Amino acid sequence: MNRIFLAIALVCLTSAAPVAQWLKHPTPGIPRAADGKPDLSAPVPRTPEGKPDLSGLWQPAAMLIGDLAANLPRGSVPFQPWAEKLYNDRRANNGRDDPTANCIVGGVPRSDAVPYPFKVLHMPGGLVVILYEAVHSYRQIFADGRPLPVDPNPSWFGYSVGRWDKDTLVVETTGFNDKGWLDNFGHPATERLRVIERFVRKDFGHMDILITIDDPGAYTKPWDVTLPLVLRPDTELLEYICNENNKYFEIIPKQQ
Amino acid sequence: MKTLRFIVVVVLALSTTASAQWLTYPTAGIPRTPDGKPDLSAPVPRSASGRPVLSGLWRPSPGIVGDITRGLKGGEVPFQPWAEALFKERRANNSRDDPTARCVVGGVPRSDFVGYPLKILEPPGMVVILYEAVHAYRQIFTDGRALPKDPNPNWFGYSIGRWEGDVLVVESSGFNDNVWLDNAGRPATDALKVTERFVRKNFGQMDIEITIDDPKAYTKPWSVTQQLAFQPDTELLEYICNENNKYFEIIPKLTER
Repeated sequence: MNRIFLAIALVCLTSAAPVAQWLKHPTPGIPRAADGKPDLSAPVPRTPEGKPDLSGLWQPAAMLIGDLAANLPRGSVPFQPWAEKLYNDRRANNGRDDPTANCIVGGVPRSDAVPYPFKVLHMPGGLVVILYEAVHSYRQIFADGRPLPVDPNPSWFGYSVGRWDKDTLVVETTGFNDKGWLDNFGHPATERLRVIERFVRKDFGHMDILITIDDPGAYTKPWDVTLPLVLRPDTELLEYICNENNKYFEIIPKQQ
Repeated sequence: MKTLRFIVVVVLALSTTASAQWLTYPTAGIPRTPDGKPDLSAPVPRSASGRPVLSGLWRPSPGIVGDITRGLKGGEVPFQPWAEALFKERRANNSRDDPTARCVVGGVPRSDFVGYPLKILEPPGMVVILYEAVHAYRQIFTDGRALPKDPNPNWFGYSIGRWEGDVLVVESSGFNDNVWLDNAGRPATDALKVTERFVRKNFGQMDIEITIDDPKAYTKPWSVTQQLAFQPDTELLEYICNENNKYFEIIPKLTER
């Protein structure tokens, strides 16, 4: 366990740029206390249509990073037998076959549960874009009323549509390929994966993503986790170019 | 040159996905003729403040994809001698050392000169460009901040934008010295400054007037214009370069010939 954390930490440290500018630039338009400090307990900001505005630079809570099931009772992930065996293999070989080791995007929901911030752009007209620091990639969520595509070309991020359930943006994603890992630990997924993410902004500084994994190809029933996010004021995304200095395949063999 | 173009086309064809959905989904809010076809000759759309709206899915003109100087009247750029030697070496070895061969982002302005569409978004205080190429993005800050001094060098640099009349003027600096300006391999250094002037001409057409100012690699600044065409009723594809990258299988075979 410690080894994989070390490996992940080392890979992350060597792949990301250590410093950059605009990391202390005041974020415009955020509520501040009298002393100028960001007021993260201020009310939820709203769009002109009255829905919560999800925009901002967000940091995933550390607790689910690596293991999406970290907060679930031990042994409660409802694996299919083949999926449990594959998961155990991946744990035993320190994630040797992790697709992100080759700098491929993490997909959904894995890109939500990484130790890097991401920026949500909540655009007029129903487009929500997430700019991930991790691998410098992005994802589009179409909350403009379109349906999910039927029989799409399978992809890593899948295809995401959103709709509002009161103050919650409910995002449904399908159309995945069968190569994605749900997390660093290697919880498997298949082409039958359907991910529901419920984005609940609780106040200015806090948002939860309630994630449902529904993949009857790999699990006997759907399972849920909650990922808390914290707003990161007065800083910026770094340029994370994974291919520039990727040490994964130097480090992992030494761990074995 | 012909060999280079062939390689670029082959590598691109192999690296990108061939089909996806929402590629024929109607784009909301664009002007249409009575028969429902997009009216690309409609006037420039404007924001509430009267500025041209740049948002949309745009395709770079194939004219200078690969070779930035096809847009130059004089034919070639004002190289410093070492930069010309390096450029010729890169041409001779079929761009063997191209950083994008390893799926690193193209940077600025190279990402404007690719055979893939890009989507421009205008959230408050920013312009964001989502590139289909390598599934990467770039942020341009239009909130009045200054360019950083002595930043950590990177591939996309740091970009700020301001409006001059109807033109968005974007300045970028803070590049590393590994960047290529185009597929052909015109070099750049960490002294590179790029100015891009985004000029939307009507609903369906936009120019980016690009000035390259890199005194370490070139004896004087030089400029090219990239034309973009609005792409209605379609979407970006998921281009995952690392998934099936054939560059290093193809290039050695061509170089051996």
